[in-house]
Amino acid sequence: MSPTIHVQQLSKTYKVPEREGGFSAAVRGFFKRKYKEVKAVQRVDFKIEQGEIVGFLGPNGAGKTTTLKMLSGLLHPSNGNASVLGFTPWELKPDYLRSMTLVMGQRNRLSWDIPAADSFLLHQAIYRIPDNEYKQTYKELDELLELEPLMKKPVRNLSLGERMKCEIAAGLLHRPKVLFLDEPTIGLDITGQARIREFLREYNKRTGATILLTSHYMADVTALCERIIIIHHGQLKYDGGISDLSKKIAPFKLIGVMLAESNSHDLSKYGELVQNEEDWEKQYIQVKAEDVTRVTSRLLADLPIHDITIADPPIEDVIEQAFNS
Amino acid sequence: MFLIFKRLWQVNWAEQWQYRANLLMYLLYWLVSPIIYLAVWTSIAGVKGEVNGFTANDFVTYYMVLLICDQITSNIIIHTFAYKIQDGSLSGELVKPIHPMLTNALVNNIAFKMLTIMGLIPIWIILFFLFKPDFSGVTLSGVLLSIPAMVLGFVIGYLLSAAITSLAFWTTRVYSIHEFYFAIILLFSGQFVPLPLMPKVIQDIAQFLPFQLFMYYPIQLILGRLSAEQIIQGYIMAGVWLVISILFFNWVWREGVKRFSAVGA
Repeated sequence: MSPTIHVQQLSKTYKVPEREGGFSAAVRGFFKRKYKEVKAVQRVDFKIEQGEIVGFLGPNGAGKTTTLKMLSGLLHPSNGNASVLGFTPWELKPDYLRSMTLVMGQRNRLSWDIPAADSFLLHQAIYRIPDNEYKQTYKELDELLELEPLMKKPVRNLSLGERMKCEIAAGLLHRPKVLFLDEPTIGLDITGQARIREFLREYNKRTGATILLTSHYMADVTALCERIIIIHHGQLKYDGGISDLSKKIAPFKLIGVMLAESNSHDLSKYGELVQNEEDWEKQYIQVKAEDVTRVTSRLLADLPIHDITIADPPIEDVIEQAFNS
Repeated sequence: MFLIFKRLWQVNWAEQWQYRANLLMYLLYWLVSPIIYLAVWTSIAGVKGEVNGFTANDFVTYYMVLLICDQITSNIIIHTFAYKIQDGSLSGELVKPIHPMLTNALVNNIAFKMLTIMGLIPIWIILFFLFKPDFSGVTLSGVLLSIPAMVLGFVIGYLLSAAITSLAFWTTRVYSIHEFYFAIILLFSGQFVPLPLMPKVIQDIAQFLPFQLFMYYPIQLILGRLSAEQIIQGYIMAGVWLVISILFFNWVWREGVKRFSAVGA
């Protein structure tokens, strides 16, 4: 069977008008515009099989969203090919659009001025969802996302998180076979994020849908994806298992230490000190994986330790290190 | 498909009601120029008895009917759609399996139209008592003949405006292009001056342009001022322009979507 998503040499170059400041430049620009070419995506290849959940990572501006836009049909590529479910996305065939979904931040599937319930009914008609199937899907979505209390309020009166829940639900009403999710949990609190993740995993298991997602929250990726694809400066840098990546490029561990008395002890002789903005109570040092046991026992012997943790570094840092070196 | 349009209607109708104050302002703005033309031409004809065969009552009836035709055949798609192309919010609609311009935006325009027509009715009645037009030339058959003409006028006008709106895929200056287009409509549709008062050249050109279908042609049908030959000629032109506008819109839209860069979305 051919892969659900097949991307070959996919490239997108944007032409961006360029102009210097000042009056004379403005006049010159009026007659002759200068363009700069921005290579957003360059010759990217990958295949995704049916039922896979793949994390699509890369720093800001790496070309993730551009790739997702091409795969969902919004953008025509400058070069190369892609096929999703056997369709060429940018032909925007209704049959294709009915079998996939694109959820981007809180981009509007929902109409701002009316209650989400009305937009949902419109979606039902647009995607030709039979009544019983619609009710069933809505029930499932409601169980997981607790939509009911939000349905009757005009969308403009919902909070960011509430709106996001409704957006995702609206994007899934037609039970798409392929899901492109750009930052699906953005703006949600921790419980909300966990709910969405839980839901996506369940949805994938139940329907065998293929999911390609980008996220800033590494927890999304680590919780959902076994495979990740990394692009950087528009080029494919990595395609493989998530654990292999950590092993390959970051054989490091993070040791977090909370001292019983004060933080006056200098930990830098045990390993490289690293900042952790989410946890001010502990000091973190980064050590090579093979040294963890040795360093930990030294720390425990030398210092009045109140609490100690050992963890993998966040994937964001892993990626950053891998591609800046 | 019927269900889609029904639900689109429910959503858009509800949405338009949210903006009813805004809508009333828009309507008043819209009415200013035809009412001024009405007042100016009527007083000129009143003083001179007639202008090129047009009596004061001819002007009053012409502009009173124009107010209705204008509401029915015009559209506001440039205002409700161009910005979506520019700020990228079209993305959300483009990935849905229905044509954004020929479904949602179309229904939105019609919902808007229904509300403005509701607003127009009381104003029209007031004008009726102010100017006391003599509508004795109006016949039922004329009115019936004008209905398909106005529907065609609306469809052709909508497609042409939609094509011009789609130029937003190429340029951010689409609003000025549309202003220019609007000026051409003003001149050739018979809004500024009834076409028979225009120089011969303009009249000859206007015959072959689609713009008279928006106002002059249906107005004259209602007022019963066209010969059988002129009626047939008008419908043939409408058929020709319908085909042209469909082809033109399709082409601009298809090429435009290829250039869409989905900015910011």
